[in-house]
Amino acid sequence: MRPDLELTSVPGWALTPTRPDADLSGRAWTIVAFGPGGADIARDWLAQIASAGGESAVRLHHVDAGEAIEVLTADLADARVGWRLMMAGPAEACLQLRGAATGLGVADDEMTVASTEVDSRAVHCVHCGAVTRARVQLDEVLPCGSCERKLLVYYHVSRRGGTYLGFMVDAEEPAGAVS
Amino acid sequence: MNTIKLVVTAVDDTIGGIRTLTLADPDGAALPSFTPGSHIVVDCGGSANAYSLTGDGNSPTAYVISVLRCDEGAGGSRWIHDELALGDTVAAGPPRSAFAPVLRARRHLLVAAGIGITPMVSHLRSAQLWGRDVRMLYIHREGRAAYADVVAGLGEHASIHTGRAEFTDELLAALADQPFGTHLYVCGPASFIEYVTGAAADLGWPVSRIHLEHFGSDALDPGEPFAARVTSTGEEFVVDAGVSLLEELERRGFEVPNLCRRGVCGECRLPVSAGAITHRDLYLTDAEKKAGDALMACVSRGGDETLEVAL
Repeated sequence: MRPDLELTSVPGWALTPTRPDADLSGRAWTIVAFGPGGADIARDWLAQIASAGGESAVRLHHVDAGEAIEVLTADLADARVGWRLMMAGPAEACLQLRGAATGLGVADDEMTVASTEVDSRAVHCVHCGAVTRARVQLDEVLPCGSCERKLLVYYHVSRRGGTYLGFMVDAEEPAGAVS
Repeated sequence: MNTIKLVVTAVDDTIGGIRTLTLADPDGAALPSFTPGSHIVVDCGGSANAYSLTGDGNSPTAYVISVLRCDEGAGGSRWIHDELALGDTVAAGPPRSAFAPVLRARRHLLVAAGIGITPMVSHLRSAQLWGRDVRMLYIHREGRAAYADVVAGLGEHASIHTGRAEFTDELLAALADQPFGTHLYVCGPASFIEYVTGAAADLGWPVSRIHLEHFGSDALDPGEPFAARVTSTGEEFVVDAGVSLLEELERRGFEVPNLCRRGVCGECRLPVSAGAITHRDLYLTDAEKKAGDALMACVSRGGDETLEVAL
């Protein structure tokens, strides 16, 4: 039994690949594209912004997940109100970047996310704190990469860390009965 | 609602048309602290008016409010100007916060017109107390410079105007060049708020960074009569033009929590299960108004079909 996922912390774009239009209500933009799929969407966004006359105020970055936060932090250093963050790529990378952006004070209505792939997840083990990355769906069970506990992938995603909450699925069973 | 008794310990009429009252506990006890930007609802000889508290909110020994005389209003401000005197006691509700500063903001840009300065003075004092980055733009009429001395204390980070053109130039320049993380606070007449928020939106400000404090609706027309039905009792009746749904329900013995009675505070929100609604309040969001399942009984009205109030 689980609630309507709209009511949870899991964004719709982390469940289904989503391709929104560019946010043209801003005045300056940072676009972060992960991988070829992300680059494809970024191209469309750039064209939409250009047709609204805002092309000169765009910073476009093609990055891998590790570089994104650095790029974001650098762009934010001189950003003014009216700036927007748009990101496109696998949901896992987008969740992580959204977490960093939230920590840096970017509001939800200043972010646009397009997801190209939604099957890979970062799962945070609440028991040992390790993060395991795997292709796994909500409600499936995944062994923790560090403590090997069997983690149920719960429908909660950290706004700050971008990881899903994973907890021991067989905690109620006596140790001997666990195979 | 618990009411507090406050005694008028000072009256300042220095500025024409604006009366500033200092209100204190009759026994000199401390008053409840409040969040900057809070207001109290004062019983003004029968009508209830909301007034912003101008202090920083930290352990106050007095509440200071400033009341603009509105000759076309419902009479509350005239009562304060004409009837209330030093040493009198008034009844008021405890402070209510509906215009709080966002504490994680990198900077606070305060924009006020006229008597809209009052909640901003509270924000300003709190910001100075806690060392927050704060900027203020203030426009007022000649001779109505309420709290200009407090604002001027901000030095180069304050700008006070009496001319619309210079104010507008400075406002647009300020809105166009604020560091990311700034939040905008606006208080003034409805047309002023509309202008400032429109300009901000044009310059890319997202809704989440804009905070408003309304004075209240401009005088509402009496409206058309409409039919209403109360679900629990099955009672059906007509609400006449010039009578609010809230007044009609009260007359029929229903107890509906309420405070401002002018569509601002949100206290008298009632669920609606059928019938079109003519929303006239400033409280519900556009999405909530569109949903059509609740109304503010003090100002909003029904349409052609019977309004089913789920009371």
